[in-house]
Amino acid sequence: MVQRMTIWRALPALAVLALPLCFAQGAAAQSKEVIVQDPGGAYGEALRRIMYGPFEKETGIKVVTVQEARSGPRLKAQAEAGKASWDLAFIFDQETKILGDCCLAEIDYKKLSESAQKTLAAMPDNLKRPKGVALQVIGVGLAWNKDKYKAGAEPQSWADFWDVKKFPGRRCMPAWSRFTFEAALMADGVPKDKLYPIDMERALKKLAEIKPHVTKWWTTAAQPPQLLLDGEADMCMAYTGSMSKFALEGAPVAISWNQGFVYYDFFSIPKGAPNYDNALKVLSWRLDPKRAAELTSNFPVALPSSVVFDAADPKISGSWANNPKNLAQAIEWSPDYWGAISPDGRSTNEEHGQEKLNALLAQ
Amino acid sequence: MTAAATGFAGPRRGSLRGRLASPVLLLLPAGLFLGFIYLLPVIDLVRLSVSGPSWSSFFERVFSVPLYWDSLVRTMQISLTVATLCLLLGYPTALLIRRSSGITRILVTAAVILPYFIAILIRTYAWMVLLGRNGPVNKLLTGLGLLSEPAQLLFSRGTVLLGMTAVLLPIMVLSIYSSVSRLDAALPRAAQASGAGPIATFWRIMLPLTLPGMGAGFLLVFVAALGFFITPTLLGGPGDQMFAMHIVQQADFINSEGFLQALAVVLLVITLLFVGVAGHFLGFEFIWGGGKAAGPAAKAAGAGAATPRRSLLSGLADRIGWPVLRLLGRLGPAWGRWTVLVLAGAVIATLIVPILVVMVISFSSASYLTFPPPGFSLRWYEKFFSDPNWMDAFRHSAVIAAASAVISVLLGASAAMGIVRSEIRGKSVIMLLLVSPVIVPPVVLGLSLYGLFLRFDLVGSVWGLASAHAIGGIPLVVIIVAAALQGVDRRLEQAAALHGASPLTVFRTVTLPAIAPGLAAAGFFAFLHSFDELVLSLFLSSAQLKTLPLMLWADINYQLNPVLAVVSSLEVLLVVIGLALAGPVLARTRAGA
Repeated sequence: MVQRMTIWRALPALAVLALPLCFAQGAAAQSKEVIVQDPGGAYGEALRRIMYGPFEKETGIKVVTVQEARSGPRLKAQAEAGKASWDLAFIFDQETKILGDCCLAEIDYKKLSESAQKTLAAMPDNLKRPKGVALQVIGVGLAWNKDKYKAGAEPQSWADFWDVKKFPGRRCMPAWSRFTFEAALMADGVPKDKLYPIDMERALKKLAEIKPHVTKWWTTAAQPPQLLLDGEADMCMAYTGSMSKFALEGAPVAISWNQGFVYYDFFSIPKGAPNYDNALKVLSWRLDPKRAAELTSNFPVALPSSVVFDAADPKISGSWANNPKNLAQAIEWSPDYWGAISPDGRSTNEEHGQEKLNALLAQ
Repeated sequence: MTAAATGFAGPRRGSLRGRLASPVLLLLPAGLFLGFIYLLPVIDLVRLSVSGPSWSSFFERVFSVPLYWDSLVRTMQISLTVATLCLLLGYPTALLIRRSSGITRILVTAAVILPYFIAILIRTYAWMVLLGRNGPVNKLLTGLGLLSEPAQLLFSRGTVLLGMTAVLLPIMVLSIYSSVSRLDAALPRAAQASGAGPIATFWRIMLPLTLPGMGAGFLLVFVAALGFFITPTLLGGPGDQMFAMHIVQQADFINSEGFLQALAVVLLVITLLFVGVAGHFLGFEFIWGGGKAAGPAAKAAGAGAATPRRSLLSGLADRIGWPVLRLLGRLGPAWGRWTVLVLAGAVIATLIVPILVVMVISFSSASYLTFPPPGFSLRWYEKFFSDPNWMDAFRHSAVIAAASAVISVLLGASAAMGIVRSEIRGKSVIMLLLVSPVIVPPVVLGLSLYGLFLRFDLVGSVWGLASAHAIGGIPLVVIIVAAALQGVDRRLEQAAALHGASPLTVFRTVTLPAIAPGLAAAGFFAFLHSFDELVLSLFLSSAQLKTLPLMLWADINYQLNPVLAVVSSLEVLLVVIGLALAGPVLARTRAGA
């Protein structure tokens, strides 16, 4: 009986305990903070250490990060309900058009810091749009395990990637229609200036050929290096950023930029963001050339401005996606094609292609 | 429920009747709450799904694109296979629990009940560790020389089936056990005394009498598997996409509004269809554990449904099953016992070994997942307790779960009072509505709530998340408290009332002490339900309010490291302590029911 009563009493006690904690939570939300979308993984750790940690110390503004691979749908839902909850998000280039009108606020460039202005001045106009600024240039390329394919006998193109006789071994690829469709077409002999509009059926037919050799269709940037190093795959289509990080640290992996893809992630402030001014402060902070260079020396994803390029160690900038040497080999990837509405009018080309790819992968 | 409906119908005085009429009002809070946060969003979901150019245009797309149709078929196949596997493995385990005694029985029961309370996410993670490239299974196989190099065990259909079966097995075992334990022990003995061999006893006595439990378990597992998301996502390859995964994937597309909701409606309708058909034959009581809340009713319904078919079905079964069993009978009596032992042993290993491996790995000194660990250290525990992100998540989860348990117990217990103590008509329908959230796939619920949460600014609020979790917590509380209430002798309450006690005094002095153990157990269940919840949180949480399962989910998708094993071990510890505290209480509830 005694025992019964004590357990019963514990419940209201829990409730009483819980109440002040909840209110403390609510109060904290009013204070100085900024909510920033974050890529997570090793990149997220570098951002925290080099950018947000010092930022919090100097400004007293707490940087809350949201780990989310893709912001578009959340931003749209939040905007439709009139309840934006993020302050700074990165938008895929192909989504900037769709999201621009409904969901994004104009960036007040005049309010950015002086050093940020310098960085911006050296950036092409297309990368500093009214509603988004490109803070990272992303590369996708062909990576392989150097112990498996020795110097002189390395895969150099998507045709090589598809050639399992000449380059036996396991493959890994992203589980996305973008990039894989282009690579398949190039492997099938389509010249790189004739890729768009994508012939989806042809790409899928070619992808079906390589499918039995793909051990993992990956979904996060951290997976391909891990797969290569664990020996689960020997050759991957991979993000160059996380892969170069391992290469720079001496891991036996190498990357080819030939027929690779280069694109930009745009940072935007959602319409009605709760802390607009704080978001501008974070943008200023991240656009500072010295800090931006330091960030990329820890994680090789670059800010596309020559000012940052000049401030960085050439050994590291050698693996940046916007290094002219790499850029010259890569193809001009088309965000406009993937963001356009598909012929059947039901979705974007990207979503349409994704549906088809999923169907192939499910077989 | 039925006890209340049929139990006491003596003459009452007017004033007393007036007081007794009021219990109906106790249903109101839970009704309003669920109406707002559960029914309304589901209605909104359906509205969005028919908002295309024509009402059916989104549904036409679901059924015209082979991807979704194939996935639907695949989802059914996987669910059916998993339910069958659970039945085959769960039955011997339930029998073993019944047959064993003393310490064996306690151990076997613990092996089944413990995983039941541990989060699906954590148990799936344990399988990833177990089957990983450097995991114990690969190490064992290469060590024995059966494999020359570690094999790719993860990301295949087999792994999905294995993982889902392991995750859902406890439901099956508990469901079968509830009907095995109600079996009159004298019956098999009587059969044997009358000359029946062990096989005949099994075929003529055990099997027919445990059929309702098997049916209930099969359906519960099947329906739960239909909406599965976490396990197939983590253990499967691209060829193992289940329907709920498409819904989550579509939620990542910008132009999917309407179509996304149509996918969710399809999954919901299919689930309800199965439950409806099953309920028609078995009685809907199977949802809330057959006998617990309404033992006699479930039995009656089961028997009622079985009788007209008995002649045909049993004739058929006898003609096919009997000769097979006769053949098996030649194997000698020890075989039956050994089969039960071996199968049940395999089941217990499946349930317990992954958890043990994860606990060992949490003490690893290596920075990646490998088994056996190269050395032991507490570094990952230090990392966990010194990392403010993990600590915040832990605090958030505890606060949300406590709030959710309070909401669930307050609303659920009053609703249970209302349903058991009132004379309201259509009790089964009300009970069904109250309990129905447990069968709605969490992905569907999360998606429909997202719109509501945005509109009322609840995304990422403690009470918002706690309320969302309470949708699943209330049914648990209603079921347990209703069972506890039926154990209370109503004449005591009436006697107190006749002597002038107000309804509140009656409740405080008579009813409450009697159902207190049930309430405490219910609170514990509701707390754990919220503490483990991932899918709703994925839709409804925010950057500032990361819960423990959300942190785990993000980490599992990015990098498998031993910190996850630490979190898992701590959760196991929490459950063990919780069960040790609640054990005596639970036992008393069962005895009372």
